Amino acid sequence: MSETSDFFERLAVAGQDPRFSKVRGSVRFDIRDGGRLEQWLLDIDHGQMRVIKSGGPATTVIKVSAQVADAMARGEVNGLAAITRGEVIVDGDLALALRIGRLFPRASGRSQPDDPDSGA
Amino acid sequence: MRDIAGTVACIDGNTFMVSDASGDVESSPSTPVGLFAADTRFLSRWRLTVDGECMTALSVDDSQYFEVTFFAVPGRAVDYVEADVSAIRRRRIGPDLTESLTIFNYGEEDMTLDVRLEVEADFADIFEIKFDIEEKAGTYYTKVGKNELRLGYRRGTYHREVVVSASEPAQFDPGGLRFAVRLRPGQQWSTRLQAVMLALRPDGVDLRSALRAQRPDDSTLPTSMRDWVAAAPTLDTDSVGLQQVYHRSLVDLAALRFAPLSLGGASVPAAGLPWFMTLFGRDSLLTCLQTLPITPSLTPPTLRILASLQGARTDDVLEEDPGRILHELRYGESAAFEEQPHSPYYGTVDASPLFVVLLDEYERWSGDAALVLELEQEARAALTWIDRYADLTSTGYVWYQRRNRVTGLDNQCWKDSWDSISYADGRLPGFPRATCETQGYAYDAKIRAARLARTVWGDPAYAERLESEAAALYERFNRDFWLEDRGFYALALDHDGTAVDSLSSNIGHLLWSGIVPPERAPRVVEHLMGPALFSGWGVRTFADGQRRYNPLGYHNGTVWPFDNSFIAWGLRRYGFGNEAARIAEGILSAATYFEGRLPEAFGGFDRDTTKFPIRYPTAGSPQAWSSGATMLLLRTMLGINPHEDHLAVDPALPATFGRIALLDIPGRWGRRDAFARQRPTSADGSVS
Repeated sequence: MSETSDFFERLAVAGQDPRFSKVRGSVRFDIRDGGRLEQWLLDIDHGQMRVIKSGGPATTVIKVSAQVADAMARGEVNGLAAITRGEVIVDGDLALALRIGRLFPRASGRSQPDDPDSGA
Repeated sequence: MRDIAGTVACIDGNTFMVSDASGDVESSPSTPVGLFAADTRFLSRWRLTVDGECMTALSVDDSQYFEVTFFAVPGRAVDYVEADVSAIRRRRIGPDLTESLTIFNYGEEDMTLDVRLEVEADFADIFEIKFDIEEKAGTYYTKVGKNELRLGYRRGTYHREVVVSASEPAQFDPGGLRFAVRLRPGQQWSTRLQAVMLALRPDGVDLRSALRAQRPDDSTLPTSMRDWVAAAPTLDTDSVGLQQVYHRSLVDLAALRFAPLSLGGASVPAAGLPWFMTLFGRDSLLTCLQTLPITPSLTPPTLRILASLQGARTDDVLEEDPGRILHELRYGESAAFEEQPHSPYYGTVDASPLFVVLLDEYERWSGDAALVLELEQEARAALTWIDRYADLTSTGYVWYQRRNRVTGLDNQCWKDSWDSISYADGRLPGFPRATCETQGYAYDAKIRAARLARTVWGDPAYAERLESEAAALYERFNRDFWLEDRGFYALALDHDGTAVDSLSSNIGHLLWSGIVPPERAPRVVEHLMGPALFSGWGVRTFADGQRRYNPLGYHNGTVWPFDNSFIAWGLRRYGFGNEAARIAEGILSAATYFEGRLPEAFGGFDRDTTKFPIRYPTAGSPQAWSSGATMLLLRTMLGINPHEDHLAVDPALPATFGRIALLDIPGRWGRRDAFARQRPTSADGSVS
């Protein structure tokens, strides 16, 4: 099973997130791996979240490659930067897409080169 | 709009063009001239020649922010004796650039003219210009078509393109386009040039296409601006200068309205031209606070976008924490590839408390409890951030120390230059640091949130907790920051708790936040209005006599109009009406020397010495919170405040202004007028 599938399965089990208590909408992830298309549909209704592995209509569609989706699931992707550079394509409500982006983990304390001038 | 010396700007939110006085762009890598959108330069060369000669403008009309007209003749200013050929370039910025070019033959001979437009696009990111970086990682392409010139830049899936076309037949080549124009005496010729800017996704759709559909296009911009001005209160005053400053500020606030990608077409204030044409947490929040009586429509979208991008996770590059309100949001290449941390960057300590302060102040004016309910979760998260993530030394204060050691900001308060926080003797404190005004904002945020918890959120227990935390902070702050022998508050605390003892304008913000005990206020005010801080035009950022004081030091001695407007608000809060009036008079008088437009900052030289305010070399202009300063100073002079469901008026006019009336002030009361009139001994006012 891919890291992406793991991530969505966990969401499906959680079933809710208080951060979405005022959010309503549906988001579909279209994840392309060569010729293969994997789709996940998230239905959010005031904190309740239904996650199913299927197509179907959604108000917002997020298109990514399987490679980028796995990186997202590992917490390595900054959503807004990825959208700006064309790696993640969003059709529909961008604000909702960014909110959904918060469900993805973030590799905490991402490594960064040390600043040679940093004396403090 | 001419503020970078000799340049002319044309603006619509974060799309703008800066050219020289003749309308030409000949950019060097490090100067912010050209056509910009979404933090990217789409045209770095845009130069018109007629028969090989460049043009000189005889006059420029830039009275509309989104449009500028150049009346030009060929040749350098000194060359011509009699101009048979002349040209009008009318430029308009909307989602794209359009420029109508008309050439006249006022001579007595037939003419065949070679009209040439040189075009180049370097797709420089605004930070590459700022830091003078010329190497780009991607590749350029040029496509010459029969009817257009396409210039593009690709780096992986990042793709930007500009398409230049004309309404008249032209010959296109990789360096631009040319027209062969034949004109008989008295004849004229016109063409409409267009530069379409594209931020393309791999599927060929523009990233901004959904947004564009919801924004005014270049044909509806004039109506959009008229509606904006018409919706604002009318100022009626005997002061021509004040009238000019008010109108200019109102129009500049319109110019700086910018629609972020994820806000469904609603607009928020961009911070300022040319470096800050994007969303800044602090700038937009303070601008909204300044403008609530005049243009309250800016506030809900600002609170909503900041809420929607509120920190949710911990990230040391972006300096993100749960609940933290962002500092800066960018869409350029450096943000896209995370070479700069602006997608978004969270390195600010004051935006989170100010978010809560604005939410409360907005409700006091508007009565819009629905928005307070809508943003309850975000407001609580911002308050939690103050206690849980900002108290780096567990001493009960808001501290900062950058976690992004490469591109993060050293100073994460409003004075964010590297040397802005120093001891009186010039030493720089260590990290973390806690600046005084941020503690005031945190105190105010808790007090105000307690009111919201009680009146809107229905959570009196939370209200009591916030009030007791605020009371403890008040005690602590007045113990640790107060310098009894000097009679003012320390600028900051050093990492070990030592008071950073310099005298600065920051102490004025403490009055605004209400964290100063009334018995201490007179001593604070004495310093603010004393010769070391008050220049005659306004309160300097840093007092004369401190080691690092410099009247042209960005945060070390210049006068910032926005800073002064909040100090004036604080002075009124503590009953110092005359002192607030002196500041209002100084700042608004200074504005008249800048054609009614308050710059970001100006020199801290003494008013008696220079007689006019000294331009700060790289000051941004227009700047949202400088335009906002005019509005807040009007508020402080009129003494208008929401009082339950009424608008209270308590004027304190400087002697310069005989009469000020602000008509149709919007709020929970509907619309009300406020009047103030100079009386022989004091100002008098009323509301109707």
